[in-house]
Order: sequence, then structure tokens, then C-alpha cells
Amino acid sequence: MTDPTLPAWSEPFAHPRRTLRRTLRVRGVSREWAWGGATGAGIRVGIIDSGLENAHPRLDRRVVQNVAVEMTDEGPKVVPDEPMDLFGHGTACGAIILSLAPEAELVSIRVLGADLRGKGTAFAAGLEWAIEQGLPVCNLSLSSKSETLYPVFHDLVDRAYFGSMALVSAANNVPAPSYPSLFSSVFSVAAHGEPDPWRVYYNPEPPVEFGAWGVDVPIAWKDGGSTVATGNSFAAPHIAGLVALILSKHPGLTPFELKAILASVADNPGRRHPWRRRR
Amino acid sequence: MVNQPLDAALATLVAAARRSDVARRISGDVETRLLQSIVDATVQLFEAEAASIALFETDPDRLEFRVAAGEKGAGAVGLTVPPTQGIVGYVYSTGQALALSDVANDPRFNRDAAQQTGYVPRSIAAAPLVDEEGTVGVLQVLDKHSSATFSLRDMELLAVFAGQATVAIAAARVQRDTRGLLREVLSELAPDLDQDGVDALVSAAAAGLDADEDQPFWRLVDQVDRLRSLTDREASMVADILTVVAEHAERTRRDRRGR
Repeated sequence: MTDPTLPAWSEPFAHPRRTLRRTLRVRGVSREWAWGGATGAGIRVGIIDSGLENAHPRLDRRVVQNVAVEMTDEGPKVVPDEPMDLFGHGTACGAIILSLAPEAELVSIRVLGADLRGKGTAFAAGLEWAIEQGLPVCNLSLSSKSETLYPVFHDLVDRAYFGSMALVSAANNVPAPSYPSLFSSVFSVAAHGEPDPWRVYYNPEPPVEFGAWGVDVPIAWKDGGSTVATGNSFAAPHIAGLVALILSKHPGLTPFELKAILASVADNPGRRHPWRRRR
Repeated sequence: MVNQPLDAALATLVAAARRSDVARRISGDVETRLLQSIVDATVQLFEAEAASIALFETDPDRLEFRVAAGEKGAGAVGLTVPPTQGIVGYVYSTGQALALSDVANDPRFNRDAAQQTGYVPRSIAAAPLVDEEGTVGVLQVLDKHSSATFSLRDMELLAVFAGQATVAIAAARVQRDTRGLLREVLSELAPDLDQDGVDALVSAAAAGLDADEDQPFWRLVDQVDRLRSLTDREASMVADILTVVAEHAERTRRDRRGR
């Protein structure tokens, strides 16, 4: 039964999570195996957002590069950027990733800026740049509603997937189509409300495949500040952080393999160590 | 050179302009009234201190607070903020809804803009107003009485209200666009006429109608009639466009009457 009091995109991750009940668990794939002892070291994580404030204490000097997409007459261009964040949102995402994978390296790809009219195009250009750099993980806590850009994003997402890049994409907060979060190959993420950064759900009924903490999350914000926020934007970087952790321990895993590992170690109900039950 | 499609086009042009003007006069600023009713309902349902809607405007690019409700809301109306700043700017720029708690404890957070309204909130939830073209504005609600934070359900409810506001804006803009359509039609009819000439014709038509006189409007018709370069294909296309204009106007008029 659908509970009319719950929002569509978070409903699968709220109690009692009936649709999340799964029996499949890959023997030998545990959290300890997946990321035990890992720190995210050696993994560069792209953050396509409002920039990163390198000096923010919660970013812990882990930002290795800042670029921005500039809209020029010849089209979008990727240029070096100041170590700053327009809103605080990118910094919030970066700090969440580091809270799980403290030794990951962050690459800021700022696509939000003064030229708001070209934002969908800037977003696509930033994503293309991230793919060309061969970043193994990229966090996208934003989406585009542009139907015109649908094929552009579709092509980019396929390039990322075939290039073994994990794109972690926040589901839109409103029930309207937006991209690339609705494409099948991305790690699409919505929020659950349990205050546990390590709690992950796998949703066998897409489009949203993963649930992570996104309600009342204590986040870093602009100018060295912090606040508490709710949004799928803050659920996605929890998954990006876990992916960085897994990759630092098991380099070269494909997005397909990473999804399977996350699904296998997820906190879905009715599946705590099911292989121990003898029939 | 008078032909049937052109006559039909002119007749429809007259009808469309009249209907659109009648609709505009009856309704006043329908957009503001609808948006006001939405923020009123938002404040009541959330039991919040304030709710407001900011719409994106150009030259210069800005988010302008058009309506507000709640005890602490009134100060926001008329305030403009850069679309690259604060929660409202973030939500506008990304199209992602967002809720922040504990805002007031961060001395740097958006304080300047908030202080201009006379009220610095502790918590904010904001949702984008998204139509087919993209994000047109932001609906925000400040400080629930019952809770220090906003839940996922709050976010979903806010999105529903944001959807209503977007529909209200779109409906009101159909009227405003009628004038734009007239302008396009004229440019099509008279490719030799420069932009100023087209604007003058449209203004003359609109001004004349406001003065309750048909005369300036017939001047417009005469001008159009003098355009001899029209091919049958162009004329029939114009007639088609005008039919659409007329249907829009007719629908608007019927809606008003139906209330």
C-alpha cells in the first residue's frame, strides 16, 4: 500500500521498507571486505557543483584542483577557478565525502555561476571534462530538466559508464523528469532520515536505486560555516564517499561491480546474514 | 490583392486583441493574486512564520520577491537578491529543493538579505518553480512553529505548492504573451517593417483599446491591409497563428466567466 503522507522519492527508504526486502547477498562480500581499513587514498572524486572552499576546515586541505565552466561566445570552456564556493553547497558535498573517505582527493568542477542562462550546457561541459580527466568517481548533486540536453547527457553518461567512471547523481527533489539522475547507469540516490552516514539501502524498484542519509544532515557551508540541511543533494555524497572507499581498496572496479557490492552490503530489511540460515 | 485568408486573419486579429484586453481588464494582476493565495495557504499549512515567492527577472538578473505571507513575511515583498546567492539563489540555480536548519546560528549565512526583510529565520525550506522552459522562481517557507527542522514530507508538500505556483504563473503569462504574439504576427506579415514600426503598431492597438475607442485599432488594420507582399502561404500561416491566439483568449475569457 502506498502511504500518501510520504514523498514519492523517499518512500521506499522509510519504515517498513517492504519493497526493499531482498534475499540475494553475495557470499564473501561484506562491508569488511568491501572497505574495511580503506581511507579513499589515491581516489580523485569530482564534485560538479557550486565550487569548493578549499580553506574550509572540514575539507581538510584535500582539494587538489578547482576548475570552472565559463560560457564564452565559442561555447563552454573549462578554466582554472578560485578556491571558492558560491553558495556552500559544493563544500557541503565535499565534506560529506571526506567524512567517509578522509583521504580521497577532491576535484571541484564549478558549473554554477553568474551566467545562469547557460547552466544546463555548463553542467554538461563540466561532466564531459570530468570524463576526459578519467576521474573514477563524480558526485552530481544537481540535475537538468532540459529536454534539449537529454541526448547530450545520455551520451555523456554512457561514455562515463563505458569508461568505468561512477556517476553518483542525486534524484530530483520534485517528481519531474530530470537528468542524468533518471538514466539507468548512474548511481541515483534519494534520502533516508536515519542519522547514520553508513546506512545504505538498495532499492530494487528504480529509478532511484540507493537511499542514504539526507535529512537534517550537519553540513559544511559557505565561509567556513556549517548548518543542518535536508535534501537528496546530501544523500548522494554519502554514496560517492562509499564508492571512493571501495575503489581505494579495490582499484579498477566497474560501476556495475560497485553497484552490486553496494546492493550486497546494504541495510535492507530481512537480509541480515541470510546465508547463515540453513534450509 | 485582397484575399480570403488575409481577411480572415484581420478579423481574427481584431477579435483576439479585444478578447485579450477584456480578459486583462477583468482580472487585474491575476498572477500576483494567485501567488498570494498560494503563499497564504503555505503559511497556514506549515504553521510557519513566513512564506514567500521570488521570481527571476532580467536586466539585471535578479530574484525578486513578489508575494509574502505570515507575521514575519511582509518585509520581503519587493526585495531583490542576486540569483547566485543564498538558499533562494542556490535553489534557483540548481533546480534542487533544499531545507536548512540552524540558519541563524551561522553569522555569515545570507544575513544581509535576511536582515533587509526585518526577519532572520532559524530554518528555511525552499523549492524551485519549474516549468517546461526551466526554473522561473523559488517558493520558500521560514520557521515552522511546531519543529526546528523540515521533514521529507514537508519538502514534498512544498513541491506541491511550488507546482501550483508554476501553473498560476504560466496561466497569467498566456495573457501577457498575447501581446508578444501580435508583435510576431505583424513582423511576419510585414518583413520590411522594422522593429520600431512593429512596436508602434502594437502599442497603438493596445493604447487605443484602453481608451475604449476602436479607431486606433482600425489604423492598425489599415496598416496591415496595406501590406501587399503577402503570399497565400504566409497569409494562411498568419491565419493559423491568429486562430491559436483567439482560442487562448477565448479560453481565458471563459475561465473568468466560469468563476
